[in-house]
Amino acid sequence: MSETPIEAALADGRTTLTEAEAKTLLADAGVETPAFAVASTPDEAAEAAADIGFPVVLKVSSPAVTHKSEWMDGLGVTVGVADEAEARSVAADVLDAADEAGIDADVLVEEAADVDAGTEVIVGGLRDPSFGPVVLTGLGGVFTELFEDTAHRLAPIDEETAREQIGELRSAPLLEGYRGSEPADVDALAGVVTAVGDLLAEHEEIVEVDVNPVLATSDGAMALDALVVIEA
Amino acid sequence: MVGASTTEGKIGYEAMENVHDYGGRVYPVNPSGEGEVFGEPFVASIGDVDEAVDLALLCVPAPVVPSVIEECGEADVGGAVIYAGGFAEAGDEGEELQEEIAETANEHGVALLGPNTSGFVIPGAGIHASFATGVEEVPAGGTAVVAQSGGVAHSLAFQATRERRGLSAMVGLGNRANVGFEEVIEYFDDDPETGSIILHVEGTDDARSLLETCYASETPVFAYKVGQADVGDFAESHTGALTGDHALYTAGFSQYGVPVVDSTSQLLDAGHVAATNPLPDGTNVGVVTAQAGPGIIIADRLKQAGVSLPTLEDETMETVNDILPGITYAANPVDTGRPMPEFGDVVRAVAEDENVDAVVVYELHEAALGFPTEAVDGLAEEVGKPVVFASAGAESLLADDRAELEGAGVPVFETPERAADALVALAEYADVRANAAPAGVVGDE
Repeated sequence: MSETPIEAALADGRTTLTEAEAKTLLADAGVETPAFAVASTPDEAAEAAADIGFPVVLKVSSPAVTHKSEWMDGLGVTVGVADEAEARSVAADVLDAADEAGIDADVLVEEAADVDAGTEVIVGGLRDPSFGPVVLTGLGGVFTELFEDTAHRLAPIDEETAREQIGELRSAPLLEGYRGSEPADVDALAGVVTAVGDLLAEHEEIVEVDVNPVLATSDGAMALDALVVIEA
Repeated sequence: MVGASTTEGKIGYEAMENVHDYGGRVYPVNPSGEGEVFGEPFVASIGDVDEAVDLALLCVPAPVVPSVIEECGEADVGGAVIYAGGFAEAGDEGEELQEEIAETANEHGVALLGPNTSGFVIPGAGIHASFATGVEEVPAGGTAVVAQSGGVAHSLAFQATRERRGLSAMVGLGNRANVGFEEVIEYFDDDPETGSIILHVEGTDDARSLLETCYASETPVFAYKVGQADVGDFAESHTGALTGDHALYTAGFSQYGVPVVDSTSQLLDAGHVAATNPLPDGTNVGVVTAQAGPGIIIADRLKQAGVSLPTLEDETMETVNDILPGITYAANPVDTGRPMPEFGDVVRAVAEDENVDAVVVYELHEAALGFPTEAVDGLAEEVGKPVVFASAGAESLLADDRAELEGAGVPVFETPERAADALVALAEYADVRANAAPAGVVGDE
């Protein structure tokens, strides 16, 4: 693939990247992601799943679907896919449903992550008309909008500034090893914040980035979901 | 003075009254003006003034402004103040009108203050380019007030006047057609009369540029950002929903080394201390009080804001105990129990303490004792730290002693909270300057 995910999306006239494209962009920027592959047939999905190792997660991958978990009564995201037969069957269901709905879709096959093994953090960025590129970090997952525990910086920033930003969160103690849990790798998380800031600063087409959640664990920070909004 | 008028109550009259005794020449300009106003004969147009014009004050309605700016440009006027409203703040048509005058002004190199402003005042130079009555009473001093709103600029200037604080300038920016925060901050950063710059900010189209200018300013800048209730109007991402304008200003000011304050009083107080006292090197404050209660309020307020009250050095404690054996509370705060002749020596001992970066003193005024002016005169400069007082007493008994203390360069506040809040802002200045990390600048790791 010679063109970047941004170029590909712009060429299609799209304003959002697929999750796979967004993760490719993040991975290229040095952010850790689960192993993933995009499959366009049930057999490809089964093969990719076997390569990644079970269990895997299967997701619908289509520019037409932004809210995957709500798509087709839950068919958009299937967790805990245990073997090749199940992968093939789920992928077939997803592709058939997409055909029926008249949309172009592939299947994203992804390594399963244990979200209980760490803290869910949101890392985001946007291009503000007055401030330019800015980065945000905050408590992630289902609590993101409930507590609005966030901290901002104008980007690009270095990792030291990102660590200070993370330290400003009311929920920062959760990352430092709260009540006997293992402390998270804050340096790795700071690396994600820095990378998102750099993406905004380096790619004028990017207007918004959501990496939510980033799973912060004792040995790293992994982008489990990602949304990138672009503008020509 | 374009649009000068002989009719009392008209802007063209009030503004003329404010500027007519400025040391230089003032020409009232009005094609229908007859005779003179404040002893100056009318001229028909700016072109009829037979010397170079430095500044034009435009007391004319919006529709007339473009042609007057054109005249200003042709006459090589350096700058113009546009008082009239009806520009960018008033819809699309006004916005077009503003673009038109900005274009003309830029072509001819005319700096515009406004439109939609009540002007500016430089007390030390006797320049009262405002149409508000009473601006000639604003005393000269070291703080430059730079407000987005002309109304807030005047509110701050009159509060300063009431509280005996001087200003190096008061500027109401208004609509910022071609002069904005950046130009004004840079100007007053270079101004030898200005020791601090205080900003009232509602919002600007290029906040990053404002922040970069503040960061580059060697003169301390304090900001009061108003409008907390907004949220980002982005729909697609969580990040958009969680990123309001206020969050970005707060984070941005801190990232670029500007303390953010909560009120016009704290803004003025911080500016006044920064302009009259050395800046603190850190965030450790020593508190000396003659009465426990107000001292506790100060200590509470400081701690709540994250400012620390350090343990005093052994040497300081010994000195304090030598001065006042059996003192009420000799740690930090130092509580002497009541005013006494040695109070000034206690303040001095705490100010000299190496653990302390700034000193706040509370002492109720006792007519028989007065304030320890002699002991603290020059103390701040000597120790290189701000030393501020708060006090209360009967105004008639207090006024002269307070004037003496203030004359010695010691700010005196009316309430314990205001003294504490001023030092909170100063401590924050030390903190945010030390930790400033503007975007794109890679720190030393």
